[in-house]
Amino acid sequence: MRQASPNSTRRITIATLVFIVCCLLSTVRILSEAPSPTQSRSDAVDLSSDQRFAALKLALPQYGIVGYIGDSVSPADYYFTQYALAPLIVDHSSNHPLVVGNFSVSQPPNMPPDHLRLVKDFGNGVQLFANKDAQ
Amino acid sequence: MATVLAAFLCVASGFALASLAVSRVTSLATGLLLRVSISIGYGLGIFSVVFLLCRIFSVTNLITLDGAVFVLLSGFAILCRVRRSPAVSCPPTGIDGRTWLHRLLASAFCVALGVAAYSAVERARAHPHGDGWDAFGIWNLHARFLFLGGAHWRDGFSPLIPWSHPDYPLLLPGAIAHFFSYLGYDDPRVPVVIALLFTFSTIGILFSALAILRGRTPAMLAALALSATPFFIEQGTSQYADIPLSFFVLATIALLCLYDDRSVNSSPSRRLVAGAGFAVSLAAWTKNEGLLFLCAILGARFLTLMRSTILCRPSRPQNETRRESWIAFGILLLSVAPGLFLIAWFKHFAPPGDLFSDSAKSLHRLVDPLRYWAILKWYVKGFLRFGNWSLIPGTLTLIGFYLIAGNKRGRKPDFSFRCSALALLLTLGGYFAIYLITPYDIYWHLRFSLARLFLQLWPSAIFLFFLTVPLSSSQSEA
Repeated sequence: MRQASPNSTRRITIATLVFIVCCLLSTVRILSEAPSPTQSRSDAVDLSSDQRFAALKLALPQYGIVGYIGDSVSPADYYFTQYALAPLIVDHSSNHPLVVGNFSVSQPPNMPPDHLRLVKDFGNGVQLFANKDAQ
Repeated sequence: MATVLAAFLCVASGFALASLAVSRVTSLATGLLLRVSISIGYGLGIFSVVFLLCRIFSVTNLITLDGAVFVLLSGFAILCRVRRSPAVSCPPTGIDGRTWLHRLLASAFCVALGVAAYSAVERARAHPHGDGWDAFGIWNLHARFLFLGGAHWRDGFSPLIPWSHPDYPLLLPGAIAHFFSYLGYDDPRVPVVIALLFTFSTIGILFSALAILRGRTPAMLAALALSATPFFIEQGTSQYADIPLSFFVLATIALLCLYDDRSVNSSPSRRLVAGAGFAVSLAAWTKNEGLLFLCAILGARFLTLMRSTILCRPSRPQNETRRESWIAFGILLLSVAPGLFLIAWFKHFAPPGDLFSDSAKSLHRLVDPLRYWAILKWYVKGFLRFGNWSLIPGTLTLIGFYLIAGNKRGRKPDFSFRCSALALLLTLGGYFAIYLITPYDIYWHLRFSLARLFLQLWPSAIFLFFLTVPLSSSQSEA
């Protein structure tokens, strides 16, 4: 085993110090970007999914396929619906005997397609339709 | 009570299997840390597979099966410990005689780990359903289908919901659903805890494996780098599958390096290779990219051994005969086989993935030079910006460290380094090929996935870096 040369030792010391500084700078970023423990928390997934569809879920069969219509451009609302209603399969189509309606609360829902009949309005933009053609 | 029992059976089964794979280590604490860290992933992998088998064969008594698996694995582990295998010794490498620097490094590591833990917990509290669509749209949704679906669990893999990627493997959903079954309801805290466990176990494997192979200083530097990677901590709490995959990639490479490195163990147990085989199977059971890594690691070891055989060069672990090397490779193949069988069965019943939907168009995309150029640019950009580090990116920090500290007569890359580095490069090449043929807009696809793909390999890249970079002059002679 050789003795460490002073030059090599100095280089390793400098490298380690620079490395530690870079890592600690990054650690400061992790700390500064961490959510504050005191900030109010609203769980978007829970609000838009489980809570929103809790009443509807009780009115639907446990398994099978239901249709889906909605007025949102973003697919997120459809995904939230599927997440809330699993293990039911929510197909983004109205060609099923039961169709879930998911509309924004601020705007009244558009007139549903002719072949759909409103079964129940659960409030908050959540509605259940029956497909007259698929009975 | 049910949660405690489930957690005990999960971790204890994983620990028994980890104890089977990792033989005795002279440093009790380091060996224990490595086994405990690996046991998290092994345990969750076992839980996932057991749950799926119960669903397939309509077994409802989960607790009996879990108990039987635990007793069986513990029995094997005790039996194998009675037949003592040679101990793995830890090298006493460190920063020569500079205790103040060692203390500074230890303090920095403790600070970084503490901040990472604080940030991870606060992030998990702020986003209990995960941070991003994939968490609830893929992984937790599949877990709900597996748990709530009962006999209809296959509905979760319906082609009617292709956006949920029904072809994605089931390690995370299966493990989560297993815990849901003990609790009796789909408690959102389960995926949160699993995500946190994977994140910090990855740091645990990185630290303990390097401490065994190269000593505490490189181990602390590596663990510091990973703990200080903001993107790693963000993704660690997002409930995506990229961190669990990075865990299994690192576990595979670490176990294979422990087997290959004869400086710490002159006659290592082949159980390390079997343990690595199990880990890489679980990587493939976590994400489709894991399947790519499985092919890459097998391919890399095969190619390196073939090169050794054809060119008659000693391109294999020191003191190991060619025959022994091929036997070890055979054990790796055998230990991967059950996992591959399960994945093949799953891929057979799940709908096909979206990436290979149109082979004619894929071929057309393969010959478009603009796509190559675009991906290459994003690779370079991703490499330089990776990790969301403050001021200086982590990749450049490592390069800078090497340039300043690197000994020109440093450690020559050995068999394990060459194989592992080649496997990571082949995996990166595989990602490149997927981007070439992707049916999605290439820029959209790169933007939303490339950083996460790099993250899957980041802990292993740090591991290999500190495995090779010499930190004391004595190491360079090794």
